[in-house]
Amino acid sequence: MIAVDENVKVLTNQQGEPVRFSWRNGSYQVTSRPERWFSRKPWWLEASRAQRGIGSEVLEVEMWRITAAKGVNSPSEFELLHSNDRWQLVRIFG
Amino acid sequence: MSFTHLNVSSAYSFHFGTAKPEKLTQAAASFGQDALAITDMNGLYGAVKHIGSCLDKNISPIVGVRLEVQNRGIVTILAKGHNKGTGWAALCKIVSKAQSKSKKEIAITEKDLSELIATDGKPNCTILLGPDSDFGRAVIDSNATVSAKKLLAWQELIPVSECLSVEIVSHLTEPGTNYSTLQAKRMLQLAITLGVRAVITNAVRYLEPDDALTGDVLDAARHLEPLGIFTPQPNAQAWLKPESLMNKLAVEITQSQELAATLMKNTEELANSLRLDPVSDCDWSRPKTPEKSALGIEGNPFEVLWQKAHAGISWRYPNLSDNKLLPVRHRLHQELITINKLGFATYFLTVADVAQMIRDMRIRTAARGSGAGSLTNYLLGISGVDPIEHDLLFERFLSTERSSLPDIDIDVESARRHDIYRAIFKRYGGNRVTLLSMQSTYRGRGAVRDGGLALGFEEDQIDEIAKSIWRFSARNFRGMLGQKPELQKLAQQLEHDRRLNLLVDVTERLDRLPRHISMHPCGVILGNENLLSLTPVEPSGLGLPMSQFDKDDMDPMGMLKLDILGVRMQSSMAYAIREIERVSGEVIDLDSIARDDKETFRQIRTTNTLGVFQIESPGQRELTGKHQPTEFNDLTIQISLFRPGPMKGNMIAPYLDGRHGFVKPDLIHPDLAPILTSTQGVVIFHEQVLKILNVMTGCSLAKADELRRTLEKDRGFVEKFFRQNATKRGYSKAVVDRIWSVLEGFGSFGFCKAHGAAFALPTYQSAWLKTHYPTEFLAGLFTHDPGMYPKRLLLSEARRLGVKILPLDVNKSKDEYLVEKTIDGTGIRMALTDLHGISNSEITRIIKQAPFIDLADFYLRATPSRVTVKRLALVGALDELAGGSNDHTRGDVLERVRQLTALKTKPKLDQNQPMLDFEAKEQMPSGFAPISATGQIQAELDLLGMDITDHQLAKYQPMLDQMGVVRSNELVGLRSKTDVLIAGVRVATQSPPMRSGKRVVFITLDDGTGCSDATFFDEAQARSSAVLFNTKLILISGKTRRTGVKGVSIMAENAWDLNQLWQEYRQKNQLVAVEN
Repeated sequence: MIAVDENVKVLTNQQGEPVRFSWRNGSYQVTSRPERWFSRKPWWLEASRAQRGIGSEVLEVEMWRITAAKGVNSPSEFELLHSNDRWQLVRIFG
Repeated sequence: MSFTHLNVSSAYSFHFGTAKPEKLTQAAASFGQDALAITDMNGLYGAVKHIGSCLDKNISPIVGVRLEVQNRGIVTILAKGHNKGTGWAALCKIVSKAQSKSKKEIAITEKDLSELIATDGKPNCTILLGPDSDFGRAVIDSNATVSAKKLLAWQELIPVSECLSVEIVSHLTEPGTNYSTLQAKRMLQLAITLGVRAVITNAVRYLEPDDALTGDVLDAARHLEPLGIFTPQPNAQAWLKPESLMNKLAVEITQSQELAATLMKNTEELANSLRLDPVSDCDWSRPKTPEKSALGIEGNPFEVLWQKAHAGISWRYPNLSDNKLLPVRHRLHQELITINKLGFATYFLTVADVAQMIRDMRIRTAARGSGAGSLTNYLLGISGVDPIEHDLLFERFLSTERSSLPDIDIDVESARRHDIYRAIFKRYGGNRVTLLSMQSTYRGRGAVRDGGLALGFEEDQIDEIAKSIWRFSARNFRGMLGQKPELQKLAQQLEHDRRLNLLVDVTERLDRLPRHISMHPCGVILGNENLLSLTPVEPSGLGLPMSQFDKDDMDPMGMLKLDILGVRMQSSMAYAIREIERVSGEVIDLDSIARDDKETFRQIRTTNTLGVFQIESPGQRELTGKHQPTEFNDLTIQISLFRPGPMKGNMIAPYLDGRHGFVKPDLIHPDLAPILTSTQGVVIFHEQVLKILNVMTGCSLAKADELRRTLEKDRGFVEKFFRQNATKRGYSKAVVDRIWSVLEGFGSFGFCKAHGAAFALPTYQSAWLKTHYPTEFLAGLFTHDPGMYPKRLLLSEARRLGVKILPLDVNKSKDEYLVEKTIDGTGIRMALTDLHGISNSEITRIIKQAPFIDLADFYLRATPSRVTVKRLALVGALDELAGGSNDHTRGDVLERVRQLTALKTKPKLDQNQPMLDFEAKEQMPSGFAPISATGQIQAELDLLGMDITDHQLAKYQPMLDQMGVVRSNELVGLRSKTDVLIAGVRVATQSPPMRSGKRVVFITLDDGTGCSDATFFDEAQARSSAVLFNTKLILISGKTRRTGVKGVSIMAENAWDLNQLWQEYRQKNQLVAVEN
């Protein structure tokens, strides 16, 4: 597993699922059904407020586990973080 | 089809759930769901509230528990419904069984579970195997074969298929982890393969995603570790999702519309079998009392009650003529008819039986509350005040208009309360009795502490913030920051401190959440032999089982709760009476002393009521000065007046004005004169409202009490009824308007006179003892510490009364404050228990081995620790062993103790070898310096917490004299509005609710000559914010304000720390070098 922390451009379908992303001059095509999951953040280290009603965004973050391939290369597993229209590539699995 | 949540932890899953049952049911109802489960961790703590609120919302209640099964992980167990309570009973028993081993390890064994579930093959409960069960964990940690074995093992343990389901949950966590969709998929697959029904839930722990933050903080409180140290919850998905989202989850997990529909349908079918019928399943709201056999009665309970009550007439009214007995009999019959109509005869017999048992144990008791308004209670010996003499109404207590079980509260000696509990368990049997529990909730300080812990604050910093939270709801912590002077510093820090901002936010989140369960301070539940099938129990701190239901759950469950309240004053009085008898042989029956003793009322009127029940607080002392009570009824009135309601409603001033003849009382209408004369035209009591409604509208007193209760909820209805009927009976519009404005304003102001009268009895009794037996009375106060003031203030009071205080002496002191005969009367011997750090076993040894010949003998036989013997020497408890102050100084004693404790090994008593060091008195060193007066007082304060030989203020006297500080006993001689300085030790700080809604702080100081009370309004609070709540020795500047014939208080302007002034004074006078 390789940890990455870079912004990527992502193209999504109507359901909001990633179908393609570009990273470091390469374009990656999603090859299987992406899996959405939710991770969390240590809000006590970074948030400035935590009042009632502030919303779970302070704590929670949307993640996508996808299988994608660049061109004809064999596909790899990637993990994208999605927050406020911003996409980040965070992990690449073997 | 609708969806039902079957796994919901409410806020009663302590330190886990975040939502109260009523919020959850409201949300479920608004989603259109027609049933909802509550499944709290380890208990049915929120179950009754859940059922009640489901009934309100017209949805079906489902109840279960999240519980650990030994070696099998955590599962959810739900009761099946509509089976005449067999499901509910099984659930109660499973919980009780799991709780019965130890507080630390709450779990049910497989064997117990299999025995309690599906007894006789009938499905009474169902188990959900979710992600936290061994099966759920296995699908993540192991391969399919191992996982299948786990599920098979469950099928073997619970062979009835109706009783076992697999619970499919996805919190959309990281793929392959617990609560992930992958885990759900695998569990579903195996459930299908092995033919176990699968249902879907969301394992809910909060209402909305936002509550997840609160959840994090609760997790920290549960782990007792700051966030970041333990593994936190994976995300914020455990909320009460609506059906549409649950459906979407089902599709996501199954990847098939068809399978998803089956999953949803299974869930609904199971939910239907779990719907409870509160009445037939939980015996909802039907009153339950012990069976006749348990009460030792035969025949018709009502006939037995009739006989017992009538037998009480000749006991309570021994000398009354037949003529005068007529109204007594008439009233009793009225009451008994009502009791019979309601079917409460057994209830009264039960309470009477308990009261009799307590009396037989020779323990002092008194009734409290509206129950004192019942003649039946008086005749059965449950209450001690005569409702006819004091004009108390039965209808306020009980009427045919209401059917809930009434509350009868019994006050007993606090020191004997646990004995009484045990006796009740023994008398009625452990199957019919449990203790009541109490949910404590987060309030300001606790919320700050746990919030601070979660955020990793230093303890010191949290302490400081917690201390500044004084009498306001933490729910609005941020709003208060700008308003309270003592929070000013914190408000400034907030502007640039991120963590502090978070602390304020999480404190607000925690406020009012249930925190833990503990034993209720006075409640005992008495039921029939079915009790343990209706409530789960767990061990209490006392060792006796305690119900998981609290007092609010009693009425809905139809359970009889007896409040047996330990009152320290009753213990103190019992102690005083015992000491009087022990020392002088005089036997006193406190309950039969005349209640019009002139000397007692004269003593009360001096306002020196310290230690007297209910009227010793600064505010009550001030009111006593203004009121000048002369008879028992005055005490009832005064106790009832000194409440937030009457104060807010401005009822005190008109009453006092009328009483002292400043104004002629306005009785409004001649018909009301008999009702209002005794209270100067002011409506103080609920009973007066009842009578006014009765006279003016012609309704019955019972109906009048219903109207009084409705007044708060539906004022319009009562107004219409009152106006119509009073007008019909010929009262003019002017009179009707006037009275309505009184009744309307009465709302929350009034007080139940029966309760006031019941309280006035111990007030009078304690004042009587203080007047006639001050030494014994104070000894009782010292021993049982009933009041609001520290012990050292009692010492001041003893000095003032001329009661002799005998210092600690290892040959004479015990673990109680004994009254001792002296050459010139009696005195109170200080007790060993006050010495800091002395252990119970040391005290026991000293008492057992006394008397001692000399210091060595004491050291040898009492075997105190080195620290204790030194401390005893420092406070003079060993002086007498050295022959008293004539032979040797305190310095000599200390030197001798130094010699003894310097020995490397403690000498043993049974050593045969002669030990020269311990031979005789002549080895006492001599010539060491005596202790200074200041040193003596300091030692007493440090080691006993009391200044015994002199008041601690004495040290500052030169400075105080120079400043012109006035002593407390001189205040009464000053004119109103004189500028004064007062100084003293803080003995009380109060901030009662005021009419204006603004905060007022009362500080009471003691300076050795008595107490003085200072009042701080807004500006003075701002000026003195640094010392307002925490400084012990204070100097206050202000103006005198006369509050009555004997009353003066200080309108404070500013306050200072006395010790700080002292430092400056010493520096100025260059006394620093001289003093030490």
